[in-house]
Amino acid sequence: MTTEVKKLDNPEVVLRVERVCKSFGNLQVLKDVDLIVRKGEVVCLIGPSGSGKSTILRCINALEEIDSGKVQFRELTVGAKGTNLNDLRRRMGMVFQSFELFPHRSALDNVAIGPRRVLKLSKAVARERAIGLLRKVGLEDKADSWPANLSGGQQQRVAIARALAMEPEMMLFDEPTSALDPETVGEVLSVMKQLADEGMTMVIVTHEMNFARSVADRVVVFDKGRIIEEGPGRELFTAPKTERTIEFLRHIGWHGQPGEDNTRNKGVSDG
Amino acid sequence: MNLDWNVVWENRGLFLEGALVTVLLALASMALGIIGGLGLALARLSRHRVVSIPVALLVDVVRSTPVIMQIYWAYYVVPILTGLRLDALETGIITLAINVSAYNCEIFRAGIVSIRKGQWQAAMALGMGKARVLFEIILPQAIHRVIPALANIWVALFKNTSLVSTIAVADLTYVALTLRVETFRVLEILTAMAVLYWIMGYPQAKFADWLHKKFKVEE
Repeated sequence: MTTEVKKLDNPEVVLRVERVCKSFGNLQVLKDVDLIVRKGEVVCLIGPSGSGKSTILRCINALEEIDSGKVQFRELTVGAKGTNLNDLRRRMGMVFQSFELFPHRSALDNVAIGPRRVLKLSKAVARERAIGLLRKVGLEDKADSWPANLSGGQQQRVAIARALAMEPEMMLFDEPTSALDPETVGEVLSVMKQLADEGMTMVIVTHEMNFARSVADRVVVFDKGRIIEEGPGRELFTAPKTERTIEFLRHIGWHGQPGEDNTRNKGVSDG
Repeated sequence: MNLDWNVVWENRGLFLEGALVTVLLALASMALGIIGGLGLALARLSRHRVVSIPVALLVDVVRSTPVIMQIYWAYYVVPILTGLRLDALETGIITLAINVSAYNCEIFRAGIVSIRKGQWQAAMALGMGKARVLFEIILPQAIHRVIPALANIWVALFKNTSLVSTIAVADLTYVALTLRVETFRVLEILTAMAVLYWIMGYPQAKFADWLHKKFKVEE
């Protein structure tokens, strides 16, 4: 399925970011950022450290406040009066670089707590849903484990299950594999690929260039708080248009290896 | 030296009653001090300065003055200022509770701020409100971390209860000091008092040590 076909099938806009600016003190980290995400689209945000790609993700679900501009998710405007941020966040899943599982709860409870406490499902239903999701990420046998006893890759898969348990309309991933040992990166990426194949709308900040190239419908390149280039992964990686993108790709060691199913760029070390 | 340990045995009832009062004082003021300390900690962490600054002031005053002064003040000055007179035992419990609350406030506050910001964000990203995040995600972890510090407070409090004897609360210290004057058997009576305190205090100190090992922070 090509990007064009997919977009035509699902023209519905899920997320619209318009002219968003954001500063931390004197440092402007986002400058007039525009971004549109349609239903079922997988958008990867790439770029150097400090380019603003993680910040825009956090602005999207209001973990950071924007200074100006507009973030529209479905019918909700982030930061507008009357927008319930809890409702907004409930409908977006978020996966963090450092997993952030709740260490005082079992893997199962980590996944069940959202449905139980926020969606107010019964204990049995929440548990059922949690077990189903742990099975989906391949960790049904770890349901009773404590996060501390899981590997990084397992923790991140539980974190993905935890986000999915809210049945979100969109998933946000903030460098989900950057804190992982190289050997566990693949298991997390394959869960993400599976989600993409199922049609989940996803915005992913990543340094995994092979993954971006093979899974993303669109790749967006950030530099110094601006979007400098965007396009379908295949085009962007084979024929980048801007000098800055070329430089960035060269800097991280991208040599354009093909490898259709290899979602891991072994030449890239995260950081 | 002419020792007469009979005097201790004859007064065993009084000693035990005193010991019981000591235990009750410690339990009651710690229970109130945990609730109070948690409340003060949340108030101190409040974004509203009208709330956080007075609490910070109270905590500083309590921590920088002697307990015995606080007890005297509560028993003799507060009734004059407010016209409210509580009996000695109530005054003792409330004063110790306020004292312990101040120390517990700092412990709980440190525990709460020691939890990574990412934990707040992960819980909020699920759509939980701030209060729910605090009580379901942050506090359980924070309390787990501060249990050893609370145990230290308890051990200190248990000994500090002896200071309420100065306002005639009939705790172990008061009983022993009174018997000393009545019987003139200074060595026997004060030794009995020491042994009783040690018997009660030693297991607590060991228990605190055990808690320190069990709840060691690992990250």
